[in-house]
Amino acid sequence: MAKISLKINGQIREIDVDPNMPLLWTIRDHLGLTGTKYGCGIAQCGSCTVHLNGESVRSCVIPTGTIVDQEITTIEGLSKNNDHPVQLAWIQEQVPQCGYCQSGQIMSTAAMLKKNPNPSDEEIDNALNLVLCRCGCYPRIKKAIKQSIKM
Amino acid sequence: MEQISRRKFIHLSSVSGAFLVVGCVPGPNGDQQVITKVSADLAGLDLNQFISIGLDNSIILYNHRPEMGQGTFQSIPMILAEELEVDIDRVEIRQSEASRDLYGSQMVVGSRSIQTEFEKLRKMGAAARELLKQAAANTWNIGVDQCKASNGSVISEDGKVLTYGQLVEEANKLEPLENPPLKDPKDFKIIGKPVFRKDIPLKTNGEAKFGIDLYTPGMLYASVERSSVFLGKVKSYDDSETLKVPGVKFVFRTEREVYGRKREGVAVLAENYWSAVQGRKALNIEWDTLNLEEISNETITGDSYEAAKKDGDELFGKGDVKNVFKGNSTVIEAAYETPYQAHVPMEPMNAMVSIKDNSAEFWGSTQNPNGIRSFLSKKYEIPENAIKINYTFMGGGFGRRSMTDVAEEAADLSKKSGAPVKVIWTREDDQTQGPFRACSLNVCKAVLDVSGKINALEHKVIAQEIRNQTGDNMTAGRQLMGGINTEYLIPNLSVKGVLRKRHVPISYWRAVYHSTNPFAHESFIDELAHLAGKDPVKFRLDMLDHPRYRRVLSEVAKITNWNAPRPKGTGRGIATAERSGAFFAMVIEVMQKGKSVVPTKITTVLDLGICINPNTVKAQTEGSIVMGLGAAYAGLTIENGSIVEQNFDSYPQLKISQCPEIETLILKSEAPPDGAGESGLPTVAPALANAIFDLTGKRIRKLPIDMDGII
Ligand code: FES
Ligand code: FES
Repeated sequence: MAKISLKINGQIREIDVDPNMPLLWTIRDHLGLTGTKYGCGIAQCGSCTVHLNGESVRSCVIPTGTIVDQEITTIEGLSKNNDHPVQLAWIQEQVPQCGYCQSGQIMSTAAMLKKNPNPSDEEIDNALNLVLCRCGCYPRIKKAIKQSIKM
Repeated sequence: MEQISRRKFIHLSSVSGAFLVVGCVPGPNGDQQVITKVSADLAGLDLNQFISIGLDNSIILYNHRPEMGQGTFQSIPMILAEELEVDIDRVEIRQSEASRDLYGSQMVVGSRSIQTEFEKLRKMGAAARELLKQAAANTWNIGVDQCKASNGSVISEDGKVLTYGQLVEEANKLEPLENPPLKDPKDFKIIGKPVFRKDIPLKTNGEAKFGIDLYTPGMLYASVERSSVFLGKVKSYDDSETLKVPGVKFVFRTEREVYGRKREGVAVLAENYWSAVQGRKALNIEWDTLNLEEISNETITGDSYEAAKKDGDELFGKGDVKNVFKGNSTVIEAAYETPYQAHVPMEPMNAMVSIKDNSAEFWGSTQNPNGIRSFLSKKYEIPENAIKINYTFMGGGFGRRSMTDVAEEAADLSKKSGAPVKVIWTREDDQTQGPFRACSLNVCKAVLDVSGKINALEHKVIAQEIRNQTGDNMTAGRQLMGGINTEYLIPNLSVKGVLRKRHVPISYWRAVYHSTNPFAHESFIDELAHLAGKDPVKFRLDMLDHPRYRRVLSEVAKITNWNAPRPKGTGRGIATAERSGAFFAMVIEVMQKGKSVVPTKITTVLDLGICINPNTVKAQTEGSIVMGLGAAYAGLTIENGSIVEQNFDSYPQLKISQCPEIETLILKSEAPPDGAGESGLPTVAPALANAIFDLTGKRIRKLPIDMDGII
C-alpha cells in the first residue's frame, strides 16, 4: 500500500492503495466514480476509457502508481450538466441501449474529436474500433458523431 | 389475462392528503388477488401500482420490468400515459419495486414484456383516467359523458377545466370502473411515436447505476476460481499464498447450481475487488475433472454426426416424408453446424447479497428479480417478505441474467462470512463458464417435384436442449425446433430432434434456438431455390399463403430493388423468420473487397403488430443484427473439456468498422403488439450465407464464417 495523490476531474484526491492496482479499480472502488466501467481488463473493449492529460487511455491496464501528478478526467468530469457536444449528440440520436459501454464510447469520441474535429468514416472506425458495444449501438454512434461535429 | 372486474381500490384518506390505495393483480395461479399498497407519506394518490398523481399535478409512472437496454423503461410508461391522457415528456418515470404480488411476473425474457402487458397496462391507464373524469363530473354535477380527459386535465363540454392534481381528493372517494373503455388505436397520440427515452441521459454521464456499481457498508468483494473443465470438483486447495495478499479476508469453498448440476469453486473475499482477484491468482487448487478432458469440439462434432444417423423424435409432421424419400435417388441433403456462444453482456455477471438470520437483501442487475427472492427464501428458509430485492439497470442480459446462480454464490459467501458480499465475474469467467448457447448440427433433406417445388423436406436438429440437460430422458422436446418455419406449404414436412446431453452447460441466449435453426432452414430453402432454378424470393412466396410472411417478404424485396440488376462484385441474400410473434424478412448485400467478403447493407422489414416506440424497436433490431453478425463471425471452441477462448482477444465481438449500413422498416399494423427484442437476429446468418453464395457460388454450411477466407 502507498499514499498516492491523484488529480481527477479537477480535484486532488489522496488515497492509500496498492500502486499496482489498475487505475480502473482505484477510480471505481476507492474514489467511488462508477461511471467508468470494467469490461475485459485487457485493453480490448474500451469500457474503462478515461482521459489522461486529454488523451483517451484504458484505465484497466494502467497501474495507479504510474500516473501521479497527471490530469485524469472520467465521464463524471466531462461536463457539469451532461452538455458536452458528444453527450448532447448521444441524446439527440438516442444512442445508448443498456448504456454500460457508453462512458467508454463517449470518452473515446470526445478525445478523438479534440484531436481531429472532422474525422472521416475511416478515422472514426480506427479511433473506436476497440470500443465494443454488445448492444449494437454502432449505427447510432456513427450518426451521433456526425451530429456532434455540427454542434 | 387480468380481469379488472374484481379489481378494487380501497382508499384510506388521512391527514394532509396522504392516501392508501389498494390495487389488484393476478395471483400466482392466475387467480385474482387483492393487495394493499401503502404510500403513507405521499401527498397524492396512488391510483394503482403503476400510476401515482400528486396534488401538485406531478405524475409518476412505474415501469415494472427490469431494463437491460430493451427500452421498456420508456415503452411501458408510454402505454400507461396513452390511456391516462398525459404528456409522456412531462411525467416522471420510476422503476417499480420487485413484487410478484403487485406486478405478477417481472421476468424479462423472450421479448414478452410488451406483448403480455399491453392490455393490462392500457386498462390501468384507462381506469385511472375514467376515475379522474368521474371525479370532475361529480364536482361539476354533470354526466361523465360530458367530460373529456386531455393532457393531464379534465375538460367539460362548456370549457371548464380541472387538472388531475385538483381532482385527486375527489377521485379518492370513488371506485374505479370495472371495465374502463379503451382508446381506439386510431386515436393514439403517444404509442407509435419515436419518443425520447428518459433513461438515456442517465447513460451519457455515468449516472446510471448497474449492479456492479453498488456499494453497501461492510461489503466484501469476491472472485471465484472454478474448474475450467465444467463439472470439475474441488479435491483440495492451498490458500496460504492467497491469505498473504493484502486486503484478502477469507477463502471459502462455494457452489452454485446450473440446470440441475452443482458447479464448485473456491472464492476469495477481500476488501476490494483487485485484492480478491490477486488472491484468486495465488490459489493452488487440485481439481477432479472426472475424465471430461477427453471432450473437445472434435468429439462433440463426431458425436453429433453419429447421432444424426438416428431417426430422432418427430416434433412436427405432415404428409409422409419417409415414403417420398424411400428409394428416391434425387434426395438433396445438406448439414449445417453452429458453435457454442457466450452471452457476453458488457457488464460482467455480478451480484451482491446479504444474508442475515431472518432477513436477506439482494442488490444487482437481474432479468428475474422475483426469481431471486424465491430462490433465497427457499434456500435459507426466510419468508419472502423479509427479503429485499434492489434491482438496477443491467449492462446487457441476453438471457444470461434470467438465472439466479450468481446470486446463489453471493448468498453462500455472505452466509459464510457474515458480511454482504459482491461477487464479480471476470470477463474470462463469463466467457469460459457459461452456460452457453447450444452448439448444433442441423441435417436437412428434401425432394423437389417436377415443377421445382419442394415435395418433401426433413429438418433434423441434433443438439442439447435447455429444458432437459440431465437425467435419463432422451426424448427430444419441442424447444429444439424453435425457428423452423412450418408455414411453408410443403406437402410432406417433418421436423425431428435428436437430443444430446453433454457436460457443457447451456442456457437461453437471445432468440434461443431461433438463433441457430433458421441458419440451416433458410439456407437450405435457398439451396433448393437455386437447384430448382428459381429466384429465392419468388420461390419462398410461391410456398407461402401466410399473410404476414408474404407481406414482409414482398416489402423487403421491393425496398431493396430485389429484381433490379446489380453491380459486378456484389451479392445479396434473403431470409425470413418469425420470433416471439413478430415476422420479419431481411436482405443482406455483400461485396468483394480484395480477398474478403463484406456486408455493405442490411435491410429488415418487420411486422410486429402495434409498435409502441419505433425508435426503440429499430434500436433493438440494430442490436439483434450486430449480435447476429458477431455470432456469424466468431464462436467458442472446446478443447480438453474446457473453453479455449478466454477473452475478447480470442473471441472477438463485432466492431464498429464491421457494422454495415442498417435500414429497418416497421410495417403499420393495428394488431396487438408482438415481441421486438430479438427481431432480425434469426435471419442474419442465413441471409449472409445466401448473399455469400450469390456473390461467390460458395455455400457456407458452418458457423463461424471466415469472411477473409471465402474467396
Ligand atoms: S476494461 Fe479496459 S479495455 Fe476493457
Ligand atoms: S449500450 Fe449496451 S453495451 Fe453498449
